[in-house]
Amino acid sequence: MTTLTFPLSRIEGHARVVMEEENGKLLTAQFQAVELRGFRNFVVGTPAEQMPVIVPRICGVCSTAHHVASVKAVEKVFEVTPPPLACQIREILLLGQLIQNQATSLFIFTMPDRVGVESLFDMDESEAARKAQFSIAQQALRVRKLGTDIISLAGGQFIHPVKAHIGGVTGGISREAADKMLEDLRRMLPVACELFNAYWDMSVAMKERIGTWGDDEPTYYISSTMSLKPKLNSGHMRVLSPDGEEKEHFTPEEFEKRLEFTQTEYSYAGQTSYQGHILRANSLARINITSAFQTPLADSYLERFRASFGSPAHAILCFDLCRGIELVYAIERVMELLADNLEHGETEVGYTPRDGIGYGLVEAPRGPLIHRYVVENGLITDAQFIIPTVHNMKAIERALMVAGNRYIHPGTINLELEKAVGRVVRAFDPCISCATQ
Amino acid sequence: MESDLKKLPKFAVLQLSGCAGCEVSLLNASEWYDKYDLVYMPLVVSTHRIPDDIEVLLISGGVRNDEDAYNLQRAVKLVDRVIAVGTCAISGGVTNLGDRDDVREIFLSQARRAHLPRLLNKTHPVDAYVDIDLYLPGCPPTPELFMGALLDPQGFKAASIVCAECGRRKLNDMKPEHITGFQIADQDPTICLVNQGFLCVGTSTRGGCRAPCTRAGHPCVGCRGPSNAFIEKESTVWMENIQRVFERMTNIPPAELNEALRSPQLSMFLFQFSDYAGGHRRIRSKDKVL
Repeated sequence: MTTLTFPLSRIEGHARVVMEEENGKLLTAQFQAVELRGFRNFVVGTPAEQMPVIVPRICGVCSTAHHVASVKAVEKVFEVTPPPLACQIREILLLGQLIQNQATSLFIFTMPDRVGVESLFDMDESEAARKAQFSIAQQALRVRKLGTDIISLAGGQFIHPVKAHIGGVTGGISREAADKMLEDLRRMLPVACELFNAYWDMSVAMKERIGTWGDDEPTYYISSTMSLKPKLNSGHMRVLSPDGEEKEHFTPEEFEKRLEFTQTEYSYAGQTSYQGHILRANSLARINITSAFQTPLADSYLERFRASFGSPAHAILCFDLCRGIELVYAIERVMELLADNLEHGETEVGYTPRDGIGYGLVEAPRGPLIHRYVVENGLITDAQFIIPTVHNMKAIERALMVAGNRYIHPGTINLELEKAVGRVVRAFDPCISCATQ
Repeated sequence: MESDLKKLPKFAVLQLSGCAGCEVSLLNASEWYDKYDLVYMPLVVSTHRIPDDIEVLLISGGVRNDEDAYNLQRAVKLVDRVIAVGTCAISGGVTNLGDRDDVREIFLSQARRAHLPRLLNKTHPVDAYVDIDLYLPGCPPTPELFMGALLDPQGFKAASIVCAECGRRKLNDMKPEHITGFQIADQDPTICLVNQGFLCVGTSTRGGCRAPCTRAGHPCVGCRGPSNAFIEKESTVWMENIQRVFERMTNIPPAELNEALRSPQLSMFLFQFSDYAGGHRRIRSKDKVL
C-alpha cells in the first residue's frame, strides 16, 4: 500500500490531503485539517456583549461574517430587533466581504492553476496574461482591495470590524463617503468583468487541457440565500435536492434537527451531512438556488453560465466560475445600496441584557454560518460555531476520490494528481481557521 | 511583477496558528510589491519549502502545536532578520485560552487526535522559542504598519498612544459614576470614550493604527499592546497606572474598574506584558517594537 500526502497551499489555513492506494486502487481520500485553537472552549465565561469583538478573530478572511453572526446571536438572546437602516449597512458589510473573498479565491488562489504558475505575482509572465494586455496581478489586487474598502467604510476596519453592534450599527454612512465609494465602484466594475472574462477563458482552456470540469455525482445543496436578489444578511436555511427541487427551508434554530454532525479521528474539523446525504455549500449552492440576481451584468453572466452548465450545475470547477458571477453581483448590489440614504435615520436601538439561547445566521462567502450562544448571568456558558466549510467536508473528500481514480492506475500514478488535488480543494475554497476554530 | 523581479530581496511569511488576518492586511499594502520578491507564503504562493536565501522572515500566528514549533525553529535558521507580526505571534493572542488552566485541560482532553500535530497546553508567543529582531503588534497590524516594518523600520515612527490619533476631546468636567457597559446609543462621537464611561485603554496602547476602532465608536481593546511607557515594565505597573487615569477622568469605583480590566476582550493587551499570567519571558526592548 502507498500513502500519498499532499500539502496544501493557496487556501486559508493549515490542511493536507492524504490518499491511500493499493495495487492501483484508491482506498481512501482524507481531507485533514491540522490546526485547532479552541475558541469554543475559551469563550466560555466571556460576557456575551464582548463576543462581537472576540469571535471575528476566528478568521481574518471571514471576520466580517463572524462579526455580524455574533451580533445577531446576541440580539436573539436579548430579544432586540435592529432598525432597517442598520440591517442595510450590515448587508453592505457582508457584500464587501463577498467581493474581497471571491476576488481572493478567483485571482490569488485559483487563477495560478489555470496557467500553471505558483502565484498571482508570477501571473503576468504567463502566455495567457500577455493576451490580456494589462497587468492581471495589479488589477486583481485592486478589485480585491475594493471589497476591503467597503468593509472599512461600513465596519470601521476591514479585518475584525467593529461597527455592527448589538441593537444596530455604531453609525450611518455619510453621503460624501458613499459617493466617493460609488465612484470607485463604477470605475472598478468593468475591471472586475474584464478579469472575470479572462478567468473564464483560462478556465475553458484548462478544461480542454485536462479533459474535465471536475465531474462528480450530483449532491444536495445548502444555502441561506433566496432565489431572487440574494441577501447575505439572511434568516432561513434552504436545502436543494440533487435535481434542483427545494427540499425544505428552516430557521437557524432548527439546524440541529435537520443536519447531522460527525467528528473524525483524522481531522480537527467535523463533517456535516443532510439525512445521510452529502451536502455542498458555497458559491455553486447559491447559484443553483438563484433564479435571478436582478442586476444587469450578474444576470447576463448567470445566463451564460446556465447555457453552458444547466441548472442545477454539479461539476466541481463550476464553483470557481460562480464566484466570478457573485463578484459582479456584489459590486452591482453595493452600488444600489449606497445610492440610498444611509446617513439619516435610526441606526441603533437600546436593549436590556437577558439570559437565554440565541442563533445568529448570515450567508458567509463559503455558505450559511450560524453562531449559537447560551447565556447565563450575562456570560457565555456554551458556544457553537456552525461553519460552512464543515458542510462541504464530505463533498470535498468524494471529489478527491473522483480525482484520485482518474490519475491512479495499476502500475502508475500520474503526477497530474497533485495539481488535481489542488484544483479540487480550491474549488471548494475551504477555510480551515473557521472549520476548526 | 516586473521581469527584473528576481533581483529583488526575497522575503517569506511563515504562518503559524492564527487567523490569516495579518496576511490579509499585508496583501492590502501594495507598496512592497515591486520592492520585495515574495517567495514563500502558503496563503498566496504554492511553494512548500522556505528557500535558504531569504533576507526577511515575517512570522504570524502563535505556537499552538508541535508542528508550529518545529517549522518556526527550522525557518529562523535560514534568515538574518526575523519580524514577529500580530498579537498571536507576540503574545499567543486571543487564542491562548486566557489564563484559566481548567479550561485548557478540558480542551486538550477533548481535542486530541492521534495522527495530527500534537497540541501544546496553550498558544505560546514565538519568542518563547526563537530570537526576534522586530515586533510588529496589532490584531492585525494595519497595511501602513506593515509598510513601516518592511520598508523603513528605523525611520517609521508610530504615534506614542492611540489617543494621539483618536480625535476625541478629553474633558475635565465630565466624570461618569460607573462603567457604561456596551450600549452606545447615546454616545457622543466627539468626546473621549473614557469621559463617557467606556472601558477604553487607548491611553496606554501603542499608536500607529490611526485609531479605527475609537473613531468608529468602539473602545480601544489594546491590540497594539503597551506603549513605550509600559512595554519594558510589568503588568502590575500598568494596572496601577490605568487606575490613576480612570480616577482622574471618572468617578468609577476602583473595585468596579479592577474587575472590568480583567475582562476577556482586554486579554490581547494584557498578554503582551512578558510577565502576565506566569509568562516569565525576557522583557522586550522598546527599540525592537514598531
